[in-house]
Amino acid sequence: MESTQVVIIGGGATGAGILWDLSLRGIAAILLEQGDIANGATGRCHGLLHSGGRYAVKDPEAARSCAIENRIIKKIAPHCVEEVGGLFVQCPQDDPAFFEQWWKAAAVAGIESRRLGSEEARHLEPGLAPDILGAFTCPDAHVDVFRLTLANLEAAAARGGKFHTYAKVTAIDTEDGRVRAVKYRDQRTGEQHKIFCEMAINAAGGWAQAVAAMAGVDVPVRCDKGSLLVINHRLSRSVINRCRKASDADILVPAGPVCILGTSSIEVPNPEDLSASAEEIDDLLRQGSVMIPEVAEARILRVFCGVRPLYLPRQTGTSAGREISRGFFLLNHGAQDGLGGFVSIVGGKLTTYRQMAAAVSDCVAQELGVQVECTTDTVPLQGTVDGKTHRRLNHLLPAPVAHKLEIRLGPEIARVMDAIEERPELAEIVCDCEMVTRAELEYVLGSNAPVPVQTIADIGRRTRLGFGPCQGTFCGYKAMLTAYRTHRWTASQAANELSAYLHERRKGQSFVHHGQQMEQLDLNCDLYGVDRPAEALSGARDAK
Amino acid sequence: MQSKSFDVVVVGSGIAGLTAAAAAARQSLRVALISTGPGSIALGAGWLKAEPMGPAAEAAELSEALAFFCETSRLAGCPLMGDIDRPRPMPNYLGSFESVAFAPQRLWNAGGDGMASTVIVGIRGLSIFDENFMAERLNERVRVAGSPYAYKARQIALSHDFGTPSTVLQIGLCFDRDPAFRAELMAALRTAASGFERILLPGILGLHSSEWMLAQVEAELGCSVCEIPTLPPSILGLRLFHRLQSYLHSNGVELFAGFPAQRLLLRDGMCAGVEVTAPGHPMTLRGESVVLATGRRSAPLLNEPIAGCDAHMRPISSAGDLLAQNLFLAGTLAHSGLGHPGDTMRILSGYRAGTFAATTRGAYAS
Repeated sequence: MESTQVVIIGGGATGAGILWDLSLRGIAAILLEQGDIANGATGRCHGLLHSGGRYAVKDPEAARSCAIENRIIKKIAPHCVEEVGGLFVQCPQDDPAFFEQWWKAAAVAGIESRRLGSEEARHLEPGLAPDILGAFTCPDAHVDVFRLTLANLEAAAARGGKFHTYAKVTAIDTEDGRVRAVKYRDQRTGEQHKIFCEMAINAAGGWAQAVAAMAGVDVPVRCDKGSLLVINHRLSRSVINRCRKASDADILVPAGPVCILGTSSIEVPNPEDLSASAEEIDDLLRQGSVMIPEVAEARILRVFCGVRPLYLPRQTGTSAGREISRGFFLLNHGAQDGLGGFVSIVGGKLTTYRQMAAAVSDCVAQELGVQVECTTDTVPLQGTVDGKTHRRLNHLLPAPVAHKLEIRLGPEIARVMDAIEERPELAEIVCDCEMVTRAELEYVLGSNAPVPVQTIADIGRRTRLGFGPCQGTFCGYKAMLTAYRTHRWTASQAANELSAYLHERRKGQSFVHHGQQMEQLDLNCDLYGVDRPAEALSGARDAK
Repeated sequence: MQSKSFDVVVVGSGIAGLTAAAAAARQSLRVALISTGPGSIALGAGWLKAEPMGPAAEAAELSEALAFFCETSRLAGCPLMGDIDRPRPMPNYLGSFESVAFAPQRLWNAGGDGMASTVIVGIRGLSIFDENFMAERLNERVRVAGSPYAYKARQIALSHDFGTPSTVLQIGLCFDRDPAFRAELMAALRTAASGFERILLPGILGLHSSEWMLAQVEAELGCSVCEIPTLPPSILGLRLFHRLQSYLHSNGVELFAGFPAQRLLLRDGMCAGVEVTAPGHPMTLRGESVVLATGRRSAPLLNEPIAGCDAHMRPISSAGDLLAQNLFLAGTLAHSGLGHPGDTMRILSGYRAGTFAATTRGAYAS
């Protein structure tokens, strides 16, 4: 039986950020995640590190916190961020007054920006539509959400923070108006466990309402679905935003070898079993092609959906909870619902996850009487690779492979290099799109891995394997054989894991059943002797 | 623009295009086969899966088409054997079993588990094939069936350095071209196979090997040889493709491989031919009849949505009009109603389109 000071429920960026923050303050905490890390809203977004520009006009306070966090994340987690920069583009059909309003609002929010003429903007981004009127620059960036969550967990683990993945919370025990323990089920073995604690933090995002209900508390969360398209290559160098009131298909983010276009906004009853409709996808493509015409013809690899867990207070007014900003809500149920030691954090954005974590941790520190200030804004999440290791790495592997590996593993890279020196065959590249070597796979599969993997999809979240055009058809097979060779799975377990993984990947592909990706899907289905997805769209675009 | 004239121009060298070209070529016509690269068949496992059939009315014609395809494969030196009504389970790269209707001998040999003492041989450095994985998977089935023989796994090492990792393509090419390599491989396989009635390998025995050459390998090893398909590029799919392509070539079909079709010359209800791109000199290939078998890529060439085909495999526009009197569809696009047709259905449409294109050339009734 375990016991700790604080149990954190939810393994997204916020939960991981809280674990890191508490660990820095010397508060013992255990994080519980029902699936793999970043499996909810964190892992299903653009991966956009907002400059604040998106909210500059409508929500100045959120814009200001984004602008601040943007600088902090770039400083504390440079390995998770690709500083691509961003543009706010004025299209002829949009309100010119909004464009001017934006310019003033950006200055107020403290967003660095520069005004570009149409020529200059198109010189920077040749893919922009010829009829755009102008653009503003901003410091938007792409952030690898999985890496960011991992980095927080790894850093926390080094300071004594603990976490369990595939641990689904089943009950929250209360006694005399206080939280006493959290029960969870190990999803893999089915075993029940119990952790005694002084406080429990509900950072379950879309599942926050269900978690709060276990403690008998009402936290109304509205699930707002957003669908996003993954396009097979980068159509732009920087993040392209449409400069208008936030709407559908407004943002295109270059992310690794692909780019992501989104998003729609549709209310759904729960955060699971999401899917996108044909109209939704067509609309995204139509809207996106206004900024970048090539979107209309692009090869779509997959569609994925996530939910924005929006908090909707039942009664508006001061009793609805302590409002920290318009972006997120910290609900201390002790004051509000008479349940001590229970705190929910809802709403907010990926970009402000650290701020949310800091707010929760301040609240926890106060309740537990710990007098340590937040330092997550200055302590880097990952150590640096020294020059000698860097040179040795570049001697061992081709430069692009070495570069990606160094970004992903940081100082841990020495272990992988040792393995390759001992067994040169481990230098084999298993995933060509993301340059994942067999050595790295063995590392994430091994017992020394910071966060254990249970499935091939988990391997993807550690290494980005399978995120490219083949969607895991080739690299998934090689990853499966690698796992088998490390004695992780028996042959039939391995084959079943691969089937489950490919089935899951195919779901996202079925929505974009046309063009070149349709050929790829035909091939994928033929290779493993499985049926095509039933909900496949007939492909209106083929007729063009 | 340079121009050449043919009786039948076939666009696409997937299974439908190859069948169509073969069907047209047997009528002693001048046939051109245009392709951007190896088609679907080269990506396949080298076998034809048993698949759901089209309408029952097509059954007789389907067996005629399949008989023609099997005969063509025999003449091409890679005979496919089997029976559409009696498919057999065959192991794939996952060690799972697929229902296969037609396959060459070396693939068929892998079926019938537990009937002979078998060794599964992997090659050091060839990471795409794992002999232990395969043995463990196949033995699950042996256990269920209660067969007397379990599969054994062995690994051989070759002195030739292919780099990290080696691929079936590298090994297959060396097998074709380098007698010293072939000798070393054969010696290693002989040692591994000693004491066994059957040896099971990943598909590596040459990209061009004929049935006769593979029978020689079997004789040299003194046991039955089975090849298992690997993920693409699979040597077994490439071998079938290469053999069929060479057969067509030696039967007078002119091959334009690596020449992407750019445009169909559609005018006045006729298709005059195809414009192809080639470095420096775009060409027009004129044909009395044109067969379009470009799979998913057909749509852009046709320039308008297709509602289906008429009884002669000719495309009909969504307005109900015939696109061209002498244009025939084969393969995936000809079966738009089926979603994704299987190999056997594509052979059927290829056979039909090729036959119609050859017999009706010049004389069209509307």
